[in-house]
Amino acid sequence: MSRNFREIFRFELKQTFTSPLFWGTGLFFGLMTFGAVTSDSVSIGGGIGNVQRNAPFVILQLLSVMSVIAIFVTTAFVAGAALRDFERGTHELFFSKPMAKLDYLGGRFAGSLVASTGVMVLCSLGILIGSYMPWLDAERIGPTLAGPYLFALGVLVIPNLLLTGALFFALAAASRSWLVTYVGVVVFFAGFFVASLLLADVEHQTLGAWLDPFGASAVNLATRYWTVAEKNTALPPLSGLLLWNRLLWSGVGLGVLALSFATFRTSAGAPTYGALGRLLWRLSWRRKKAEEAPEVPLEGRDLPPFAIPPATRDFSSRRSRSLFFHALRRETIGVWKSIPFVVMVAFGMFNLAGSAAVRFERFGTKVYPVTALMLDNIEGSFVFLLVIIVTLYAGELVWRERSLKVAEVTDAMPVPTWVPLLSKIGALWIVILTFLTVGALTAMGVQLSQGFIHLEPALYAKGLGIVAVRFLLAAVLAVFFQVLCNQKFVGYLAMILFLISQTVLASMNFDHRLYRFADSPTMTYSDMNGYGHFLEGFAWFNLYWACFAALLVVGAALFWVRGSESVWRLRLRQAKARFRGPWRALAAAGLVGWVAIGGWIFWNTNVLNAYVPTDELEHRQADYEKQYRKYKSLVAPRIVDAEANVDIFPHERRVEIAGRYILKNKSNRPESTIHLQLDPRVKVRRLSLDPKWRTHFDQRLGYSIYELPTPLAPGATMDLAFELTVEEKGFVNQNSNTSLVDNGTFFNNGQYFPALAYDEGRQLQDRNDRRKYGLPPVERMAKLEDQNARRNNYLSGDADWISFRTTVSTSADQIALAPGYLKREWREGNRRYFRYEMDRPILNFVSFLSARWAVKKDVWHPDRENVAIEVYYDPAHAYNVDRMIDSAKKSLDYFTAHFSPYQHHQVRILEFPRYASFAQSFPNTIPYSESIGFIADVRDREDIDYVFYVTAHEVAHQWWGHQVIGGAVQGGTMLSESLAQYSALMVMQKEYGKEKMRRFLKYELDQYLQGRGGELVEEMPLMRVENQPYIHYRKGSLVFYALQDAIGEETLNRALSRYIGEVAYQEPPYTYTPDLLKILREVTPAGEQGLLADLFETITLYDLRATTATWTRRADGKYRVKLEVEAKKLRADGRGVESTLPLDDSIDVGVFGSRQGKDGKKEETVLYLAKHRINREKTTFELVVDGKPSEAGIDPLNKLVDRTSDDNRMKVTEAGT
Amino acid sequence: MLSIRNLSKTYGNGVRALVDVSLEVPAGMFGLLGPNGAGKSTLMRTLATLQEPDSGTIRFDGIDVLSDKQALRQVLGYLPQDFGVYPKVSAETLLDHFAVLKGLANGRERRAVVKALLERTNLWAVKDQKLGTFSGGMRQRFGIAQALIGEPKLVIVDEPTAGLDPEERNRFLNLLAEIGENVVIILSTHIVADVTDLCPRMAILAGGELQVSGEPRQVIAGLEGQIWWKTVTRPELARYETEFEVLSRRLAAGRTVIHVWSESDPGEGFEGIAPDLEDVYFHALRQAGRRAETALAA
Repeated sequence: MSRNFREIFRFELKQTFTSPLFWGTGLFFGLMTFGAVTSDSVSIGGGIGNVQRNAPFVILQLLSVMSVIAIFVTTAFVAGAALRDFERGTHELFFSKPMAKLDYLGGRFAGSLVASTGVMVLCSLGILIGSYMPWLDAERIGPTLAGPYLFALGVLVIPNLLLTGALFFALAAASRSWLVTYVGVVVFFAGFFVASLLLADVEHQTLGAWLDPFGASAVNLATRYWTVAEKNTALPPLSGLLLWNRLLWSGVGLGVLALSFATFRTSAGAPTYGALGRLLWRLSWRRKKAEEAPEVPLEGRDLPPFAIPPATRDFSSRRSRSLFFHALRRETIGVWKSIPFVVMVAFGMFNLAGSAAVRFERFGTKVYPVTALMLDNIEGSFVFLLVIIVTLYAGELVWRERSLKVAEVTDAMPVPTWVPLLSKIGALWIVILTFLTVGALTAMGVQLSQGFIHLEPALYAKGLGIVAVRFLLAAVLAVFFQVLCNQKFVGYLAMILFLISQTVLASMNFDHRLYRFADSPTMTYSDMNGYGHFLEGFAWFNLYWACFAALLVVGAALFWVRGSESVWRLRLRQAKARFRGPWRALAAAGLVGWVAIGGWIFWNTNVLNAYVPTDELEHRQADYEKQYRKYKSLVAPRIVDAEANVDIFPHERRVEIAGRYILKNKSNRPESTIHLQLDPRVKVRRLSLDPKWRTHFDQRLGYSIYELPTPLAPGATMDLAFELTVEEKGFVNQNSNTSLVDNGTFFNNGQYFPALAYDEGRQLQDRNDRRKYGLPPVERMAKLEDQNARRNNYLSGDADWISFRTTVSTSADQIALAPGYLKREWREGNRRYFRYEMDRPILNFVSFLSARWAVKKDVWHPDRENVAIEVYYDPAHAYNVDRMIDSAKKSLDYFTAHFSPYQHHQVRILEFPRYASFAQSFPNTIPYSESIGFIADVRDREDIDYVFYVTAHEVAHQWWGHQVIGGAVQGGTMLSESLAQYSALMVMQKEYGKEKMRRFLKYELDQYLQGRGGELVEEMPLMRVENQPYIHYRKGSLVFYALQDAIGEETLNRALSRYIGEVAYQEPPYTYTPDLLKILREVTPAGEQGLLADLFETITLYDLRATTATWTRRADGKYRVKLEVEAKKLRADGRGVESTLPLDDSIDVGVFGSRQGKDGKKEETVLYLAKHRINREKTTFELVVDGKPSEAGIDPLNKLVDRTSDDNRMKVTEAGT
Repeated sequence: MLSIRNLSKTYGNGVRALVDVSLEVPAGMFGLLGPNGAGKSTLMRTLATLQEPDSGTIRFDGIDVLSDKQALRQVLGYLPQDFGVYPKVSAETLLDHFAVLKGLANGRERRAVVKALLERTNLWAVKDQKLGTFSGGMRQRFGIAQALIGEPKLVIVDEPTAGLDPEERNRFLNLLAEIGENVVIILSTHIVADVTDLCPRMAILAGGELQVSGEPRQVIAGLEGQIWWKTVTRPELARYETEFEVLSRRLAAGRTVIHVWSESDPGEGFEGIAPDLEDVYFHALRQAGRRAETALAA
């Protein structure tokens, strides 16, 4: 290492360590990680969740994300090292010294790289110091270890800085332009984002991990299924993909650096090498500077005499207006033509097209690119750039004349002061609107490219108009800041602080939009309901902030700097002098409007409606549990019969309910206490319980207790009649009620009807939230062994099976629906009435819906059962209605053949708006969200037809849920959800074949394994599942599929049928999972009994992989395949700590060939597939197959839970080659 | 026409840029001489409505400049000392833009004016070139062209000749000299020759204070018989600097010629010489410097 190198290096370092940029960004980055570790208001790359705040996994994630964000800063260091001498003109001083080029470049680059690393070290210190802060929950802080920091810096951060540093050093050296370098950064990011979106799906993750230059995908791949325990203690192994990724990209970095050093030129002029260099040169502004205009001297004598033609001049106010438009045009075009804007538009288009083109919904199946989804996409991946554009160009526009030193000329011209101010705000507005228009056009392009021709420009205009408003207002604020601060960077800083304060306020539960500038309630567009009732609140809030913005405009006008006066004393004097005439009028109007509308908003949000901040909601949940959980196991009279007149007024968003329960004392002693619970928003018009009997009344939580004067004798019944009104008045600040809407009302009895039992569903779930409110760890569900708890089913605590009748009415243009069969339909005035009666007892779980639907009707087995199938759908969403009907029919086929008869004679599927995205099964009635299934694009038979699958799942609930219902103990949801999953899988397998199952189950496996990592309390074995979706859906699918694979579909179905026979429609105590396990144990062969324990009673995982696979051809033309596999069996506890188990299981071993399919695509053929008993870690198989083998492996169809499912099979190669 | 009364301005950092400046400027070319930092630009910017004085009044042709800035701007043509241009815009486009801002609403008339101005400044040939590619002299001519739009009654040009080569400078001054006679033209400069060549009236500003004002002939006459010159050797120079009031020293053929101020013949071989404006200028600066020293000492 030469002395010159050391000197240059030292000099570069000194430059950095004395630069405010270094310390400023280092401090800022350190504060960011400090914030992320010490509070939940700051989240970087996803929240910390349930893991310890300084867990190795968290350190890795934080530093990995920050090292990517840091590129915007570190580029300044490396590009500075490459450009500084040329900018300052000192390059000739350097290159005239006797010094090797390598010393110069190496020293500069190494110095800037160390500086970049320094920023990241400060960033690490933020985590380290943060983890010692006294206010943190000690339980969530682990020991301080050097390992994770060193790993993150050495494996992720430094190689990333090396790669990006080398790339942008090279670009800066070749282009000699800051602008080109930063355009390069943006293009690099655009490419990175698009690539990561394209490779986001499970099926491309290995390629994605290779191609991610930052190594984050490789880390994710290695850690995606980590449990909390692993995240708290482990680091990913530096091997395999991660190692190769790091080597690959560090190598690329070094290569680029070498190339850049070799071709570096020490002169300042045009580059002499390479097409790229010349191209960059052509783009760069230096070229224009170098090519000067020809010198034209002023020739005194030959010129014409000084005669300027006369011209009239006009200084009228009408002329001022046209001056304004003249200035507006110039300012706007100036922004349109500026390179950063063009780059951001291009980047936005890339990003939008990329994310819109690969929007899969679930299981890799696409949805139709309807405009509503495109608008979501524009919001998600395009609009964020407007934050940058508004902030940046507010500064650029306000400072345009001054930064170019034209201001002294233009400020002295006879132009009214309001012209530059308003033309700049106007230009910013036009820029915002053009940017959004580009977004709309791009989105329509994506729609057309996917063959979707139902374009809705008017909806784009409306949707983007709504998006635009907050940016138009923010533009005024940004200009105001720039004017007031009168320093560009202070203005930027003010804007950034404003943006940060918005998020911080939200995280501190300061939710009211009366004090959050340009904020208005979030809106969801639904094809069914449009923007619905959201528009009213939106309009008022925005009008309110528009008035405020008018005040800002006045403020900016008064303090607008004209000339070079920046002293506050003089600016104030000037402002006073300017404050007259129209400005005074505008200020008065703005102020009056602001206060008046503010009052009107307050009246609506806080008087007509209750303003409940998020923390108050949590507080209520906590109080509910603290005060009333003691009544959990109370024996109360139970509902046995319900009848209700439900009048829905969709346009007014009002429901009137007049109902009557029949309550029965099912206990063996007299009961006199009734616990009545109602949503506090429900207005009680009449109640048959005398107010004098009321001994407790809690309006805030909606809980009252009545003591009957004469106790209800065992077996006796009483009536409970009620008249209720639910009405949405005016508009709210947040949590707008989406159950009562103009088109697509959907609510269930649990929301508005009186309830008579403690509801565990209202308890706080998150462990950390519970600690905050002093609650003990949650008992999510009663223990399996709790006999008492099984007096209730898990759906309702105040009823068993009830008789149900209802009359539902709605406006004349809509249909109203509820469970039961339509007995009568009539009109009265401008209202439609429907009478529904259920002919047999059902669970106390009913829904009411009203909408303008199209209806498609069909009949299943008209000859025998004659079950009516009806789909009620939005006329624009007819795409998959036939698939749904087909699925319902095939489900009925399978379930009636294998389980039991269908208890109803009708299946109805009802579309509701996308405010929620689930489907839910009520008796003979299945509400189904417009966002799942109705717009799925399942035309490609290769894709997984989840419309078919979801429909089958919901139909299956008519058995699993509405025939068999589990008690309110652990495992209850296995008996409905897991069995519905299994049933739907079987219908789907029959329709699409076993090959499709493998792909489907791969998603289920992925979801299950990821769900484990996000577990907040404890993972339970399936039979003790505590309403954990990733277990009862995802693991449920895997478990029952594996079970039918082991004992046979027929055997399992017979067992299920027997189970239904034993427990369907039972009265308390309700069934629980051991009942089903008992039957399964009886039908399972003795040798497979251990499987039941693995699947249901424990958390069992496998680690299976194929290690070698070769074939040799035998003389008879058959192939001998030699396959070596490794197998391990593991057991995990609820926190994910694993231990190895002895292995003795039957596991699939398979060999596959390939052939040309009908459509010319390659298809897989099964050459061999059989279960083998495996009881050693390493096993070798010799198999003989007929065809030429292509792949072989152990558990090749991924039936077992294995965290690395991709290595189960491998290519078979010819032996000896 | 232009009447400046008791104008004072002190900046936030304590620098007194203008101290009780009063000045009457009639129509015609007016030279404002002063070294860098004398307060020239502050005065110019205040006249051009771009700065606020602490006290004082300015009236121009019946306009109270400080309270009715907009009225003054309608008759003002201003070429700032160090002005920039939009580098990517052509000369014609920008001049047209400025003409719009100056109230030339009629497009046909405006184009004619722009053409005439570009022709007169000999920029018509390069009217489509981007301004970023102009040389310093061309840019300065563009600057005067924009200042002359709309027949201004008050033209303020602040240090227009700085950085121009001698020939370019001469032509530029000729151009200024041709502007109409009923117009007040204030030319601020630190080059004495600029004023000598073409200003019928002038003033010298130093340390924020007005030192001398009047017709050049008059002020030169004030020093008649008080300027002496001598050729000295380099080693002798230091002694003369301390013993005499040396106004200027100039190299001529390797020897140094010095001018000194003295009310009577200083002897030592000094010869009398007719004073010129440069002597007046340096004499004024020395006096201003001496006053400042006394002020500090007191």
